[in-house]
Amino acid sequence: MSIMLADLETEPVGQQESAAGATWYAFRHNPMGLVALGLMLVLVLVGLAAPLIVHYPSGFTSDVLQSPSSLHWFGTDNLGRDIMAEVVWGTRISMTVGFCASLLAVTFGVLIGMLGAYFPRADTALGMVVDLSLSLPVLPLMILVAALAGPSLGTIILVISFFSWPEVARVVRSQALSVVNLPYMDAARVLGGRHRWILRRHLLPAVAPVITVTVVLTASRAVIAEAGLSFLGMGDPSSWSWGRILYESQQSGSMTSAWWTTLFPSAAILLLVVAATLIAIAYNDARNPRSRED
Amino acid sequence: MPPLAWYALRRVAHGLVTLWFAITITFLLLRLLPGDPATAIASTNMDATMRQELLTKYGLTESLPIQYGKYLVQLVQGNLGTSFSQSEPVSTVLMARLPWTLLLTGSALVVTVAIGIPLGVVAATHAKGALDRIVQVVGVVGQSLFVPSVGIFLLYILGLKLKWFPIGGAHDENVYGIAWYLNVGWHLVLPCASLAMVSLGSYVLILRSTLIESLGEDFCVLARAKGTPERIVVWKHGLRNALLPTTTLLGLQLGFMVGGSVLTETIYAYPGVGRAIYESVIRLDFPVLQGAFVLLAATVVAANMITDLAYGLLDPRVRTA
Repeated sequence: MSIMLADLETEPVGQQESAAGATWYAFRHNPMGLVALGLMLVLVLVGLAAPLIVHYPSGFTSDVLQSPSSLHWFGTDNLGRDIMAEVVWGTRISMTVGFCASLLAVTFGVLIGMLGAYFPRADTALGMVVDLSLSLPVLPLMILVAALAGPSLGTIILVISFFSWPEVARVVRSQALSVVNLPYMDAARVLGGRHRWILRRHLLPAVAPVITVTVVLTASRAVIAEAGLSFLGMGDPSSWSWGRILYESQQSGSMTSAWWTTLFPSAAILLLVVAATLIAIAYNDARNPRSRED
Repeated sequence: MPPLAWYALRRVAHGLVTLWFAITITFLLLRLLPGDPATAIASTNMDATMRQELLTKYGLTESLPIQYGKYLVQLVQGNLGTSFSQSEPVSTVLMARLPWTLLLTGSALVVTVAIGIPLGVVAATHAKGALDRIVQVVGVVGQSLFVPSVGIFLLYILGLKLKWFPIGGAHDENVYGIAWYLNVGWHLVLPCASLAMVSLGSYVLILRSTLIESLGEDFCVLARAKGTPERIVVWKHGLRNALLPTTTLLGLQLGFMVGGSVLTETIYAYPGVGRAIYESVIRLDFPVLQGAFVLLAATVVAANMITDLAYGLLDPRVRTA
């Protein structure tokens, strides 16, 4: 007895921290994850502070297709608009679409994934729908719907989230399946807990770590999807997004003569997606005690 | 029934169900969304009798279940409807383009695998080493690339600046015989490279982790213990087993690749189904959009079905699963 007490007393402080604390501790000591997180924060800031950084790019000027200079850091497009202004305002729109679409898709996907794992009877049907939607070429389907519903920001967000939730549901379902038969779930049932209580207080916390990663990855995929739709002319014509800059460059033909009209929006997309991927990887590494020791 | 036949039958049934799902979902989406095809083809400002005539011509006056039934019957007969803008059967418009899309995605798939396997093997055999790190960085960046960006840069540098490759189209006019095939291949290089670069990243990463896992399994340990050269352990024992699950994922990735081909074909003015989608979007030609999706979905389903069947032949374990 005394030995056990002594053991408890000498236990390192780190061991008594919460799991979240340990994860954050490991995450902070991974330079890759920190850089990626910093990059993401900068992008979010740029998006939020767009009006403070540059004026909204509108109207025409005579400075047509100027290469990057001290006056126009990223050059100008075929109508003389400042590309940097377009990219900065594009950050705002692209990230809004990514965030909103991801939020909707993850909410719905988590719900379906958890219900599927928890109610075996519903699982067959839900799993089938998820499997089927995952094996279809999504972009052509999104184009079809976006073309029908008419180009607007709301449409784009809805369309992207509508076709992104099956992926989330699949991931959440497989994680939830490994938990539903654990003894603590049985205990919750034996206690006479209602389904809603068990789902909320027992199953949701178990899948929460997966959700964190999924939110980031779904958002970055949504940004890519938005860029793809906008590039094909299905974007909202009244707001700037990274995909729309590329679309205008391709439509006006300046993509063949002015590299700066395509380089900067492309770099922005790449930065965001790489940052999101690295955050997800670093978070997974930090959460996994095995890779933490490396 | 022998397990292989039973397995094949199940796969085919699964493929057909997937296709039915795709067809039904497009039908419902097209009819239930706000901008329905009736207003797209015949604006409500039109002369009433003329509008009625148009709607009847395209079969848009009947009730939904009847429209659905007719639509299914027509599809089974290979009839995808009539294009709004070209007054031609959709199947004629699209079938002329399908071979180009198949050529593009097929060759991009082959290139992905041909480059992906050596890269994945190098990374897995040097796990945690410098080479592995490099491959991982390439994988993560590759996975994050935006198809049009890659396409535009390859076009700009290799097509416009260096003039090594043509910047658009599938072939030149007035070229015949063997020269035609070479010409087609030459036009294919840039679109195919754009598409392959984007799909390479995730393929390499998946292959790497599967291979690392498989190299740690008992049969590889045994092979090493027997004194088998490491090269043979990796390529013959490890890779062969790692390739199986990787191939299934590749099949799933095909849907993503078909989406990428829409973007690639748009940039390079490549005359495939994707380019038809792009052109129909501008003209709001819904029958073509719908037909193109059904056709692409059918292609993906067929490709997955073939992969699965080949799988069943190669790996007896799959048949009973």
